[in-house]
Amino acid sequence: MRIAVLRPQVPFARGGVEIFTDELVGELRARGHDADLVSVPFKWYPGTRVLTQAFLWRLLDLEEADGRAIDVVVATKFPSYVVRHREKRVWLVHQFRQAYELDGTELGQFGPSPEDRALRRQVQALDRLALGEASRLFATSANVAGRLARSTGLEAEVLPHPPQALPYRTAPAQGFVLSASRLDLAKRIDLLLDAAALAEGFDVVIVSDGPDRERLEEVARARGLDGRARFEGRVSPERLAELYATCTAVYYAPVDEDFGMGPYEAFLSGKPVITTTDAGGPLDVVHDGRTGLVVAPEPAAIAQAATWLREHATDAEAFGRAGKALADEVTWDRAIARLLS
Amino acid sequence: MKVAYFSPMPPEASGIADYSALLLPALRRHVDVVVVKRGTRRPPRGVDLAVYHIGNNPEAHGWILDALRRAPGLVVLHDFVLHHLVAGVTIGRRDGHGYLDAMEREHGVVGRLLAHGVLDKRIPPLWESRPEDFPLAGEVLSLATGLVVHSRYVEERVRAAGYAGPVAVVPHPAWPDPEVAPAETEGAPLIGSFGNVNQSKRVPQLLEAFARLRAGHPDARLLLVGATSPGFDLDRRLQRLGLDGEGVVREGHVDERRLWSLMAACDVHASLRSPTMGETSGTAIRALVLGKPLVVSDVGWFSELPGDVALKVPVGEAETTELAAALTLLAERPEARATMGAAARALAGSAHDLDRVAELQAAAFERTAGGGAVDAGVLHEVSDAAAAVGVAPGSDEASEIARRLSELGLG
Repeated sequence: MRIAVLRPQVPFARGGVEIFTDELVGELRARGHDADLVSVPFKWYPGTRVLTQAFLWRLLDLEEADGRAIDVVVATKFPSYVVRHREKRVWLVHQFRQAYELDGTELGQFGPSPEDRALRRQVQALDRLALGEASRLFATSANVAGRLARSTGLEAEVLPHPPQALPYRTAPAQGFVLSASRLDLAKRIDLLLDAAALAEGFDVVIVSDGPDRERLEEVARARGLDGRARFEGRVSPERLAELYATCTAVYYAPVDEDFGMGPYEAFLSGKPVITTTDAGGPLDVVHDGRTGLVVAPEPAAIAQAATWLREHATDAEAFGRAGKALADEVTWDRAIARLLS
Repeated sequence: MKVAYFSPMPPEASGIADYSALLLPALRRHVDVVVVKRGTRRPPRGVDLAVYHIGNNPEAHGWILDALRRAPGLVVLHDFVLHHLVAGVTIGRRDGHGYLDAMEREHGVVGRLLAHGVLDKRIPPLWESRPEDFPLAGEVLSLATGLVVHSRYVEERVRAAGYAGPVAVVPHPAWPDPEVAPAETEGAPLIGSFGNVNQSKRVPQLLEAFARLRAGHPDARLLLVGATSPGFDLDRRLQRLGLDGEGVVREGHVDERRLWSLMAACDVHASLRSPTMGETSGTAIRALVLGKPLVVSDVGWFSELPGDVALKVPVGEAETTELAAALTLLAERPEARATMGAAARALAGSAHDLDRVAELQAAAFERTAGGGAVDAGVLHEVSDAAAAVGVAPGSDEASEIARRLSELGLG
């Protein structure tokens, strides 16, 4: 099949969606499909830019390319699913969350003016229309599917995808908690730093980068975590796999996350995950006392969880093994078979 | 966002007053609502949008139409046929010329001549005899900057009438289940009909169908709750059908609690109507809440009820026969009643869920208040970009852009 994978691209940013779509294209090609990535830059501000940038997708003609038909397009997140195509499949990573559950929070975008309120509603109406056109509708997690159902009434099949390909392995824990999330506010890495400041029994290693890095480094300094909290920035796949393999646990506690590859990466390394009751998508696979610990989004609770896992190495290993069994079920073979069925 | 809210409110005896009383607390979780006092002529200063609840009853809505005329805004249109309202604010205020003008504006010279006939008492009042042919919704539509309607039926009617503004179809909200004890009323089964007892509620057809049902099910009872409309001779009809003995249980106007209790006692609810003014039935919604199977007329909003909650009876020659068949089916199949009842309750908790309805209403308010600015912003940005790359107005490329914008409801 000739398949176009659609990805809106915020220039210079790279996160879970970029990794997911790159891997999807690679995996499709590996199965003999003629797959390619179609990307359009996305900027969602100011004012009506969120709509006009979405509209760019509608103007694309992806029915064919260079005289040959494109059989299927796979849209992933807002606004790529605004595209027109007779076989538009949506594997929804997320909608434009500022128009939904983030509205009215510090992560929201739309103000109280009638224009901003109407703009938000127009984004919602656009979602209902564009997602309603899809010939198949999948969501990466139950959380994403639930949000979609609540906001549009549309039902999506839950279809998780495997995490990025890394040389995953398991090794003895070395007493640190790893965070590999992008460094932005929504990932709540502050909570982990605050937890580390409360309990001395574990160190923290923070990899990846993002707009919040400078502030987080300042928080670590202010909490007196010099030497206990290490920021490594972007690291190579080998280094990341090594950190996963040797950590005590992986911290992954974003606010109402869509899907989150973090738990799958932790599980494939045989490690338990510490998450929070309000984390959203990760709760599909992080089960308290079975594959990790699910605690209140408070530093003390996270500190207690990290300490407990360090002190109960056998349990932590068992959680990691149980998680690995779950993660092993999520394969590209299965996902692609359903996507194209 | 701040909204001025023009609506009849309790203790006014009006279905729309009940509707607003139910909806407002949930709506206030989304928008700042100022409920204006009855008789207010203009929206207060500082509001972003005025919302007018318009129905066909001039007593309840005449003052709201007056306010709408002074300051256009979003209209929650509870009935499509507004002839009675228009007659009330014209003839009812000794403004015969106003009625003539309204009829001529919407129905031409023929309309004016018919209006003369009404004023001269040469023909029966059109709001009683042929309201559906002369809905007189035109003025309200011309003043509405946006519409909220409760059915696709009314949406289609307003579009057919040429309304081009934003229309949101928002279901009637469901009340919370009052969990009242069923009234002690005999009947196996007990069929209920709630509302005014008259021709337009299809009471003659219902009585006849019930008489047929009762021939084979002597324990069946028909509960008629509501005031008998002037000129409707219920007693004579009951006598003629042999139902003047113990077949029909009669109650007049009842308070809310008694209403729920009586409704809870029924096994089947008949919610019949023809002609329809485009209205939604509050009692049918209550029946859904209570998990009761419905038998409805296959018209307007009633037609849009899912088939698993309501048996739909076409209006016309075979109406009584089909109605009797529907009642018989439900009388003889308690398991069908149970299945339909469960579906009814589920529908009340989903499509008619109060919070969902409030969210949809708030969305309609917000889109009406700020949508013009959003449309203008999108058009400005897109047209600027198109012009910058040499797309000329009227060109094929410009048409393509316009078509795509229209597809998405943008601009």
